[in-house]
Amino acid sequence: MIAEEKLKILTESARYDVSCSSSGSGRKNEGGIGNGMPDGCCHSFTPDGRCVSLLKLLMSNDCIFDCKYCMSRRSHDVPRATATPEEICSLTVDFYKRNYIEGLFLSSAVHVSPDATMELLVRTVKLLRTKYRFHGYVHLKGIPNADPLLVSEGAKYADRMSYNLELPSERSLKLLAPQKSKESLLSPMLRLCRERALFQAEKRKGFFLPAGQTTQMIVGASPERDGCILRLTESLYRTAGLKRVYYSSYAPVVEDALLPSVPSPALREHRLYQADWLLRFYGFDVEELVDEGEDLPLDIDPKCAWALRNMHLFPVEVNRAPLEMLLRVPGIGARSAQKILSARRYTALTFDHLKKMRVVLKRARHFITANGQFCGEEHAPALRCLLAAGDAAEAADAPEQLSLFAAGEHTPVQLPLFAQDAARSARTGEL
Amino acid sequence: MIYFFDGSKEAFLTAFLLAYRDGEALLTAGEKQLSIGQKSVFVRADPAMAAKCERRLLELDKRCMDDLSFLLRSGEGMRGQTAFLYLRLIAQRGRPVRGELAEDAVSEATECIRRIKLEAHRLKGFVRFLECASGALYAPVSPVNDVCDLLLPHFRGRLGHIPFVLHDVPRGKAAVWDGAHAFLAPLQHAEIVLSSDEAGWQALWRRYYNAVTLPSRARLKQMKGYMPVRYWKFLPEDPAAAIGDLPAADASANAGGASANAECAAGRALHAPSDAPSDAPSDTLPVKGRAPSPQAARDALPPPHGSPRPPAAPAHP
Ligand code: SF4
Repeated sequence: MIAEEKLKILTESARYDVSCSSSGSGRKNEGGIGNGMPDGCCHSFTPDGRCVSLLKLLMSNDCIFDCKYCMSRRSHDVPRATATPEEICSLTVDFYKRNYIEGLFLSSAVHVSPDATMELLVRTVKLLRTKYRFHGYVHLKGIPNADPLLVSEGAKYADRMSYNLELPSERSLKLLAPQKSKESLLSPMLRLCRERALFQAEKRKGFFLPAGQTTQMIVGASPERDGCILRLTESLYRTAGLKRVYYSSYAPVVEDALLPSVPSPALREHRLYQADWLLRFYGFDVEELVDEGEDLPLDIDPKCAWALRNMHLFPVEVNRAPLEMLLRVPGIGARSAQKILSARRYTALTFDHLKKMRVVLKRARHFITANGQFCGEEHAPALRCLLAAGDAAEAADAPEQLSLFAAGEHTPVQLPLFAQDAARSARTGEL
Repeated sequence: MIYFFDGSKEAFLTAFLLAYRDGEALLTAGEKQLSIGQKSVFVRADPAMAAKCERRLLELDKRCMDDLSFLLRSGEGMRGQTAFLYLRLIAQRGRPVRGELAEDAVSEATECIRRIKLEAHRLKGFVRFLECASGALYAPVSPVNDVCDLLLPHFRGRLGHIPFVLHDVPRGKAAVWDGAHAFLAPLQHAEIVLSSDEAGWQALWRRYYNAVTLPSRARLKQMKGYMPVRYWKFLPEDPAAAIGDLPAADASANAGGASANAECAAGRALHAPSDAPSDAPSDTLPVKGRAPSPQAARDALPPPHGSPRPPAAPAHP
């Protein structure tokens, strides 16, 4: 059994990784323990509102790199620990058996050398899959500058891998993470994407990252604007086939002259997630949401902001508007849109009907008519104030990572654009 | 007229036929206070009537019995009535009414089914197994709706050869996988002898849970939205205590949920500090035939975390 103190150190250093998703794997239990649950599963929630799905650990926090923003960087004085593969494996299996977790998220600082670290990670996952016969979820972190062959070997045993971009531009990386480069992070991502496509095309036996790849960016440690971040995000979805991009608000955990001394507001991160959601599931292009050198407005959500810029398109009649347009109505999320589509087949919907169907009208009423009736505010400046006031209350407890259970507005829906995988995406929030 | 029935499908379908033309009918499997002058009847299942009713309804909507089987799992007081109004509308219209959400009966039933499925889904995450000395796993649960057996295939799939028991404590029944067969059985009180490592793993898990929390960001409303307090009592990570570790301003608003434990022995076994008197030796947990003993209950106890507190008291008065 791993020592409590070691577990504490390795967990505390891993907790700034936002991703905890366990979706996308349909692995079967073949005579051992565990299987994949394609929609993922949350096992607990911590007081910071985040879901606990995976056992998220560093193999080691003893780093030879010196990224300015990181607790585990070489020049920072913290207690160090390194776990053994056996310790990680038995911890995973015993937690899993008790239904504490859905699987393992194994990351590591660069310990000794990139290759040595990657080798240790791969050895651990292999051991877990073979000796321990564990078929639950495994998310493995890629180590920058490690031998590509080692990385590909890991991909055969993990369900998902991720390289964290951390900073949205080469310049910021140079400044804050001098041993990393965009190249050292992007090229393994693209290589894995190509290898995975090949694996699928040739219908080979076994597995190769069935749950794909994700990445994470720190927001607010460097000067890039939301417009720039979201353009990078969109291209990652389109060219590197990523399932998700996570954003993590910068928090000053270490002091450095190059870093801001105040944390980035959680609200900014929340707006980025909302915009990201609009890109993936609501059919928006980044051009519609924000200019490259601009930030998203903080006082209202990006969908409201877009609607206010496009008032000539509203109000739309709920009994006739196509799904794509319903989804663009502020306040109408995927579930409400589906309810409306279903109910209007039988009767002409009025505001009373919508209320009864529990469609939230607080924002939507300004942008729709129901059976010809309109009961919103038409005057644009007054409307903006109304929307901002309503939003302020909700944003106070903004979710930083939208979960499967998040209701209404956050639940993606089946869009014709993504016909094939849409049903799964609608449940998991991933492409 | 109020039609009481025992909650079973047959009794419901019998009552359905009796109540169908009664404009004032109210079907209930729960308790209902009668007002003065109100008439009531207790309907016993009549297999012939029930079969006839089922056949007829299936002709009108071949999926309606699936809906009914969910609706009767509901733990809400109105479960009989929600199902009655929904099926009566099918009968009146002579066709399926699924999706006609502008109808009260349909939207009520749809919501009810959604809540039941959501609970089953949530429990796939929130069930916690205790490992017994025999190697079998035991999980006490206390769901709002009768969903235990819906979870069987899920855990069977992942646990493979390991036997397990899902014990619905308030309903006094269990869904069991013995390694080869799955079945349902009545189970009032369970006595178990825990494996020697169990307390150690629980302590590690608690340590993990506390370490993974970002202390700078308390978002308790969100936490409780995703993981309602009613599910906390069997969680070894003890979220109530974790909230207690946060700065007082955040915790004070939330002390309400902190006393969730101690409704049944298993809850006490998980959360009571080890020096607390074991006041319920005879209803601690089983798996296979060991005599109940206070020792078993004490074996189940994790080492105390933080200062000891009485099991039923809120962590933060
Ligand atoms: S590589 Fe950089 S970010 Fe990663 S652990 Fe080391 S210092 Fe931290």
